[in-house]
Amino acid sequence: MAMQELPKKDFFAPLKAWKFLGKRPVTIEVPNKVKREASDRYRGFHINDWSKCIGCGTCSKICPTDAITMVEVPGLVRDHGKLPQRPVIDYGRCSFCALCVDICTTGSLQMTREYIHVSDDAEDYVYMPTEKGLNAKRGLYEHGKAPLGWIKDENSDILDLVRVKMPMEEPEVRVKSFIEIVKGYSKEQAQQEAARCVGCGICTYTCPEHMDIPQYIESIYKGDLEEGLRWLYRTNPLSMVCGRVCTHRCESSCSVGVRGEPVAIRWLKRYIIDNVPFEEYDRILNIRPEKKGKSVGIIGSGPAGLSAAYFLSTMGYDVTIYEANARPGGVMRYGIPRYRLPDEALDKDIAFIEALGVKILVNTKVGQEIGFDEIAKKHDAVFISTGFGLGRSTRVPGTDHPNVKQALPMLKMIRDYLRGDGPKPPVPRKLIVIGGGNVAMDISRSMARLQTMEYGEVNVHTLSLERSFEEMPADMDEIEEALEEGVEFHPGWGPIEIVIEDDEVKGARFKKCLRVFDENHRFNPQFDENNQIFIEADMVIEAIGQAPDYSYLPQELQEKLEFVRGRIKTNEYNQTAIEWLFAGGDIVHGPDIIHGVADGYAAAKGIDMYLSKK
Amino acid sequence: MTNSMSNLVKILESFNPFVEEIDEKEIKITVSPDKVVAVLETLKANGYSHLSLMTCVDWIDDNQLELVYILFSWEDGGKFLVSTRIDRSNPKFVTVKELWPVARFYEREIHEFFGVEFEGNDDMKPLFLELWDERPPLRKDFDPRDYSRKKFPDREYEKDVIKEAKIFRGEING
Repeated sequence: MAMQELPKKDFFAPLKAWKFLGKRPVTIEVPNKVKREASDRYRGFHINDWSKCIGCGTCSKICPTDAITMVEVPGLVRDHGKLPQRPVIDYGRCSFCALCVDICTTGSLQMTREYIHVSDDAEDYVYMPTEKGLNAKRGLYEHGKAPLGWIKDENSDILDLVRVKMPMEEPEVRVKSFIEIVKGYSKEQAQQEAARCVGCGICTYTCPEHMDIPQYIESIYKGDLEEGLRWLYRTNPLSMVCGRVCTHRCESSCSVGVRGEPVAIRWLKRYIIDNVPFEEYDRILNIRPEKKGKSVGIIGSGPAGLSAAYFLSTMGYDVTIYEANARPGGVMRYGIPRYRLPDEALDKDIAFIEALGVKILVNTKVGQEIGFDEIAKKHDAVFISTGFGLGRSTRVPGTDHPNVKQALPMLKMIRDYLRGDGPKPPVPRKLIVIGGGNVAMDISRSMARLQTMEYGEVNVHTLSLERSFEEMPADMDEIEEALEEGVEFHPGWGPIEIVIEDDEVKGARFKKCLRVFDENHRFNPQFDENNQIFIEADMVIEAIGQAPDYSYLPQELQEKLEFVRGRIKTNEYNQTAIEWLFAGGDIVHGPDIIHGVADGYAAAKGIDMYLSKK
Repeated sequence: MTNSMSNLVKILESFNPFVEEIDEKEIKITVSPDKVVAVLETLKANGYSHLSLMTCVDWIDDNQLELVYILFSWEDGGKFLVSTRIDRSNPKFVTVKELWPVARFYEREIHEFFGVEFEGNDDMKPLFLELWDERPPLRKDFDPRDYSRKKFPDREYEKDVIKEAKIFRGEING
């Protein structure tokens, strides 16, 4: 032990002490030898409320004496936003500074006014705080009865609970065009927001692709965007897209979000990509794999397909993507509206994937321009990621009328029109949208824009079975922004029929929905047939969900594959029942882009394992 | 600021101060190092006779240390914060113990925690720390965790802390 050496004893020391013998003591004796209570704000031994603690380990990181270790507790489950570990405090090291309490993300860690603990066994000085606190030996209080001492208040709280405000386009302005709403952080704003991160990494567990979130946020804080870009591309080649439209489950598990607003992880990711010029990518990322001499065919250039293509080409495989549409990107190109994801954002991500040597053959619909068998013959393995391209209909009377549309084809038509690839979509004066998910929001808000551009006013009624905004599957941001833009919501209504007079859509009738799901959480809506409304409209758009289209797969292959409720069953490496055929994206997992990216990553690993053995 | 304070600020104008009003009864005066003693003397002669505190701030990015003298007036309850910045790599200043004998101890403390030498004050014995052998601990480049690890190596404990915690929580019987 490197204990400090004490000063050498003075030879006359004892004599010096004698002169105090006759003096009155300076110290005051405790009255009646009663142990005295500490002050109200005393920083004594810790307690930790396990039901609040999420195991983020921030206390351990800030401890200036290295007294806190995080220890995994068997029996605790790794839940959304929670790690199965709890702090252990070494009171041989603790200096009772209370920084751990002041930074605690949940407020679970607190200090009591207990300050007495006398034991000659060193083992008594290490302990994992619980709700009951330290079982102090010769202490003031009975075990579990020590009153609270130091409590953090707004002055001592070290966490910055308020998010740096994102500059956004005002509703009156944005509804007039398809201009991107979110403007992005400046350098100062990004660094300030990055400084709020405590680096606990709970988000990494939550992210389907397990992105290195604390690492790239730290890069932003340090101002090293090149390092940040390398962290992003380690796990996600679609960071510019995800930085804009990811469903950001990471933010819902952010430990700072327990008491405050979560760190704006999605927008920080976007900040890196927005601020590194494309010309620098090659030098910074420096991907130079050895060629493997084998090739992989990918069908569909959506998130999963592009992700698989990127990871496979970084491993040295030759990759060809077959895309039915005129431009690559799938749902990112044809589904998500431009005000959320401009073409340029997608172009940058795809351009880098192409720069790695990935060939993307557009206007190549498998089953028409090229046969599936031909692709299977040409490549050593095939990855299919064709998405959910077909719309689903409510099939109520009247839905076969030409002015009853499906959301996805309409969204595609709008995007094509905006980039000059196609004709102007029909714009109704009065529109009904049926659906409560994000696609319903996308089409409602896109049509609100077209109506404003065409007629100067918005008339969109969006009806969903779900009876409240909370119950609707759409993101709350989407609903709020749609409201700001003038979309009218009617939650809790199910369609009865589309009313058609003289062969023209006049509106639709709805009945009150009493519940959407039954006791077994199955979709099983119940209605009050006596409570009905009629809403006027000259067009109805259905956005109640999408379905896969497997018509390109030859019959004998389809028979070999296993399907579970419309989705293809695969193993953890996205390998199907046919060993050379891998699948991912919406046709396997869904429901969002980041799950697609994760599928692409897993499939690339699986394909590499399969082809290395072959 | 109060009338008497604004009068004093006027008197101090000849020292080219940077004046910040913190609140109605608190004013911060920042001057160059050579003006500090004269400013302090002027304030002392005008009622600000009590040195409440003397302290220091490490502005590591500017390579400067800021010395702050807080003066209090028993006459109008006002406070003047007199501040100056000195070079951080060779921090030297003059003592003000002739003006306020108590400054002796403040200066010892600042010497101990920030490493500032005060010319004219020879008593620089450590005031709080024992056997200190690192850089002054309130300098921003002092790493308390590193120091703690170096001086106090970890101890291996044998106790099953998880079991103990579970007993305390009543999850299992002890």
